[in-house]
Amino acid sequence: MTDPWTDRLSELVDGDLDAATAAAAEAHLTECAACAGIVADLRAVARRAQELRDREPVRDLWPGIAARVERHDAVTSLSRWKRLRKRRVVFSVPQLAAAGVALLAVSAGTVWLAIGGGGAPSPVPGTAPAVVVSAPPSLTLAGYEPAVRELELVLAEHRDRLDTATVRVIEASLATIDRAIAEAAAALEEDPANPYLTGHLATAMRRKLDVLQQAAALAATSS
Amino acid sequence: MSLTRDVDSRTDLDDVRRAAGGDTAAFERLYRAQLGRIHSLARRMVGEEDADDATQEIFIRAWNKLDTFRGDAAFGTWLHRLGINLLLGWRTSRGRDRERLRQDEVALDTAPARRPDTALRLDFESAIGRLPDGAREVFVLHDIEGFKHREIARMLGVTEGTTKAQLHRARMALRQYLER
Repeated sequence: MTDPWTDRLSELVDGDLDAATAAAAEAHLTECAACAGIVADLRAVARRAQELRDREPVRDLWPGIAARVERHDAVTSLSRWKRLRKRRVVFSVPQLAAAGVALLAVSAGTVWLAIGGGGAPSPVPGTAPAVVVSAPPSLTLAGYEPAVRELELVLAEHRDRLDTATVRVIEASLATIDRAIAEAAAALEEDPANPYLTGHLATAMRRKLDVLQQAAALAATSS
Repeated sequence: MSLTRDVDSRTDLDDVRRAAGGDTAAFERLYRAQLGRIHSLARRMVGEEDADDATQEIFIRAWNKLDTFRGDAAFGTWLHRLGINLLLGWRTSRGRDRERLRQDEVALDTAPARRPDTALRLDFESAIGRLPDGAREVFVLHDIEGFKHREIARMLGVTEGTTKAQLHRARMALRQYLER
């Protein structure tokens, strides 16, 4: 009962049939009113589809998008911050390596120290042994400056989310810590093997990272 | 007309650059300019019920990928293509799969042959939404969005024969809903 041409009529409408088949189909249409009617309908459907107008949603979707865009930004910053926390940094400067004991004492349970093996990176042959301080956050001279810079970047990106009083407290804390770092570094130039000064410097550096991490996280998650 | 499009294109490009730098106001302008087109695409591809969610997902994905927009095509074209890719995965991501394409054939074959009662007739757009998923996707991509069977077959991971059959069945079902 089904006309064998019926299933090919959309292809005819779209010009997808080869010339011979199309000619045969056209010849069939002159004899078959049912198929001719279907072709007219199919053309009308395709034409109607082209005439459809776009319309916007009933409710504004922007608030939901904006909230997620801003949350995504915060999460991205936070992820960067979390990656920094996990970063292992290596002291390779000889005077700090020599002061490892002091670092251990100063860190008092929050920082552990290893020299050589035991999961720490192998020191480069011919250089002073590397001292690995691993704990979130960890400290090294090599990684310290990039870590600080990255945290400062995160903080700067979201600084406007913090109230001015909080910003003032953060800046005052960082200024105090920077002074302590500068004083300890200057003193170490005079007395590189002094374990007290080395520990003092390590503590100040760690404190600066802590303050920056907390401030960056606070800024990144504030709305 | 062409001048207007060029100006729109330049404005879009400026806004894309700003948005890629984190400027949400610029991104909102892009959103407002493209919302109707994207929401209509989403509504036709995944249905009225999921259209709002899908539209939001498209814009969120666009925001996350703005840095990959090179400006070779208009922003609207880029966004539209990104939207189609997301919408094609929409059913899969919600636990439905390509098996539906084959099931659709059965559903369409059993569709009523007669025109429905006038009082129950749907408008044409709503009728598209009532098509089975696979037939609806092919119909929207071919007859509304203007893609070729070869492109649609590649997008859907099926043969051209399948997309042609789906399109024909969709049209046959929709002809009952032509406003006359």
